[in-house]
Amino acid sequence: MTGVPLIRGIGLTKVYGNLVALQDADFAVMAGEVRALIGSNGAGKSTLIKVLTGAIAPTSGRIEIGGVAAPLGDPREMIRRGVACIYQHSNLAPAMSVLDNIFLGRQPTHRFGFVDARRQRREAMDLLARHEIDLDLSATVANLPTVKQKEVEILKALALDARVILMDEPTGWLAASEVAKLHATIRALKSRGVGIVYISHVLDEIFAVCGTMTIMRDARVIAESAVADTDRSRVVHLMVGEKLARESEQAAHHKRQPRGTGEVRLKADKLTRRGVFRDVSFELCAGEILCLTGLIGSRRTELVRTLFGADRFDDGTLEIGGQPAEFRSPRGAMAGGIGFVPEDRHRDGLMLDMTMTENLAMATLNRFVRGLFLSRTAMVAAAKHAIASLSIQPPHGNRTVKLLSGGNQQKVLLGKWLNRTPRILVLDEPTVGIDVGAKAEIYAILRRERERGAAILVVSSDLEEVTTIADRIGVMVSGRLVAIHDADAVGMHQLVREIGGAEQ
Amino acid sequence: MTIRPATVALTLFFAATIVFFSVSAPRFATATNFENLMSGFSFVAILAMGQAFPILVRGIDLSIGAIVGLVGMVVFDLSLIFHIPGYLILPSALIVGALAGALNGALIVFLRLQPFIATLATLAAYRGLTYTISGRQLVSGLMTTPVKDRWIVGIENYFDVGGWLGIGKLFPLPWFPLSFFLMLALFAVLQTLLLTTRLGRDLYTVGGNQEAARLAGINTRRVVIFAYAVSGVCAAITALIMVARFTTATEALGNGMELTAIAAAVIGGVSLAGGAGTLFGPIIGAFLLGAVLLGLTLQGVPQFVQQIITGGILLAAVGYDRLLLLRRRRRLATDVTVAA
Repeated sequence: MTGVPLIRGIGLTKVYGNLVALQDADFAVMAGEVRALIGSNGAGKSTLIKVLTGAIAPTSGRIEIGGVAAPLGDPREMIRRGVACIYQHSNLAPAMSVLDNIFLGRQPTHRFGFVDARRQRREAMDLLARHEIDLDLSATVANLPTVKQKEVEILKALALDARVILMDEPTGWLAASEVAKLHATIRALKSRGVGIVYISHVLDEIFAVCGTMTIMRDARVIAESAVADTDRSRVVHLMVGEKLARESEQAAHHKRQPRGTGEVRLKADKLTRRGVFRDVSFELCAGEILCLTGLIGSRRTELVRTLFGADRFDDGTLEIGGQPAEFRSPRGAMAGGIGFVPEDRHRDGLMLDMTMTENLAMATLNRFVRGLFLSRTAMVAAAKHAIASLSIQPPHGNRTVKLLSGGNQQKVLLGKWLNRTPRILVLDEPTVGIDVGAKAEIYAILRRERERGAAILVVSSDLEEVTTIADRIGVMVSGRLVAIHDADAVGMHQLVREIGGAEQ
Repeated sequence: MTIRPATVALTLFFAATIVFFSVSAPRFATATNFENLMSGFSFVAILAMGQAFPILVRGIDLSIGAIVGLVGMVVFDLSLIFHIPGYLILPSALIVGALAGALNGALIVFLRLQPFIATLATLAAYRGLTYTISGRQLVSGLMTTPVKDRWIVGIENYFDVGGWLGIGKLFPLPWFPLSFFLMLALFAVLQTLLLTTRLGRDLYTVGGNQEAARLAGINTRRVVIFAYAVSGVCAAITALIMVARFTTATEALGNGMELTAIAAAVIGGVSLAGGAGTLFGPIIGAFLLGAVLLGLTLQGVPQFVQQIITGGILLAAVGYDRLLLLRRRRRLATDVTVAA
């Protein structure tokens, strides 16, 4: 494959505040190439795609289309230049018909902007026939099942007659037969000289349909190769990185305590929330760390929200300390001895404009009540203790939380719940967006809590984290808990395969 | 576009309301009463159609009552102070309305203000501007001078449709006000725009999923500004109808009308979640509110009780809108499990 790339990104960088989402990435797709883009969650794949479609403007770097510089951050111009995208999340207008959605924003028109409905329908029928897709064009998108909506999304990209099609996990909701159909479509497009970028966590799909691959890790492009020149284990190795391989080896030296003391603190039996997760059964014991991992959208967060009483479940049973429990609110769950550190600390966890002391005391205000009033002195003393034991920097209780670094904010959030000495501690992505040093400190805090005898449930997409701290590892796929392993007994490869939904 | 069951249900409810009051309220089923209904609520229907556009793009326009006041005063000034001929005043009024509306849209898209806040601010600003330019205050003696330009007062006109059709003798039909026909014409134009033009489709797309619209290359800012401009123009037309009727304008013209218009649009099935609804619903919504108010008045129900009942109807409509939305979400969620 020689010649000018259809699309080429040079030195693309995207920075959000303190977070570098994409760093100095070079990327190119040639005519007739099907290039896989792989990497673990948060490696920067979706950011790269969004920069290439113009959905976001890069902080620096440039994009060339057919060798000519293209405008940045302008989706309209990118579409006009033949770059189409199937996004991971739905980009349909729910109350409109399938037909309207296929031609969103570019319906063929007569003079004066009147939509040429007949031509629109004819072109859509052609497309359906050509790609052997069966859809009711007049149906309202909101009334379609998710799988069909995904097909609309795919058809919308195909209708553009694009020269480059970017597919961000296009098979997420598709059944096996439909995946095969999509792959046939991809091969047909490839033979017509269309360049395709294919993101998927399912390595089988990549080996089935892609010719070349680009591997990303930690916001950088770290390797490129032809699919034929590599094998699965090498790909996984590149994806997770040397450091993780080393870390997970080191972690093996930590004493693992699967099932902890053996005292079951929390038991879920066939827990079901209709339309969200189904038949989830597991036990969480005192003195262990159980990690739940899986892809975005595998409903881990929804599950733990239900455990904490923020959402209700429809079916199954939940026992806390041997007693059946169905918490109607977080308040009930807290009374039952559960502490919950949510995923988005800014939105759900911290009062950013209040001080550390106030945030730390928030979940335990009752303790500071003296008569009618809150005792400021008692709060300050308790906060001082927490700040020291968690080594929060700077150690000033009157500092506003929003001025702290991400890692220290997370420690405040953690400290707020540790003040209650919870019997069960649930953490959702406890180290997202914080640096390596702070991560290690938080891991140390979690281990300390484990030794104290707390039962700890951690939700994490970060495999490095999972293999570092877990005593046991549970894998969730599409709302089901498909496996629970003792951390020592499971290899990285098997985890990656299971997370991607491969059969056991 | 298919006819939605909700629209059918609303129309049937409207018909039932008419029948109910015809039977139970004295003098409800008379030509005079229906003439009152049409002349009193055609402009409410126009405002509700206009309001449907901001709501369609997931916004709201609280300033339309103030725009009615502003345009009314502009018409008053142009005619009585500057003696501009009516055929020039009419387009000027529409332009002022369009600009006031477009300014709302611009504040929302460029300053990224919440539509509720932006139009609450302009509500105050436009009303203040109305007082500032009020010819009643600036020029002595104008307070009692009526607007006489026949281009303007000609809008307040009634047609004996029954007489034309030759059935007036057999069956007493009400005289139809010009404002009713204006409303119908506006409905035809705007509904055609919504259903058959690219801009119309884009309005639904932006309301349904703004990010999807942007990524599909739609100029979402322009679409949103356009929606508010339509709302402003509808307010201007309402102002012309009202000035024609009263042959004058006051600073308080249109005060509080935004609430009636929003109520009519929501009752008419324009979803507050954006991206769904047609203009037929708001018209029925406006006349439904009108029929209820006139009917209750004829039954001797006190005014404040009428307001409670109007509020109840609005709550029921909003509740129904939420119910549909929840049901839709529920169904989607169920599909996910099936797929999994």
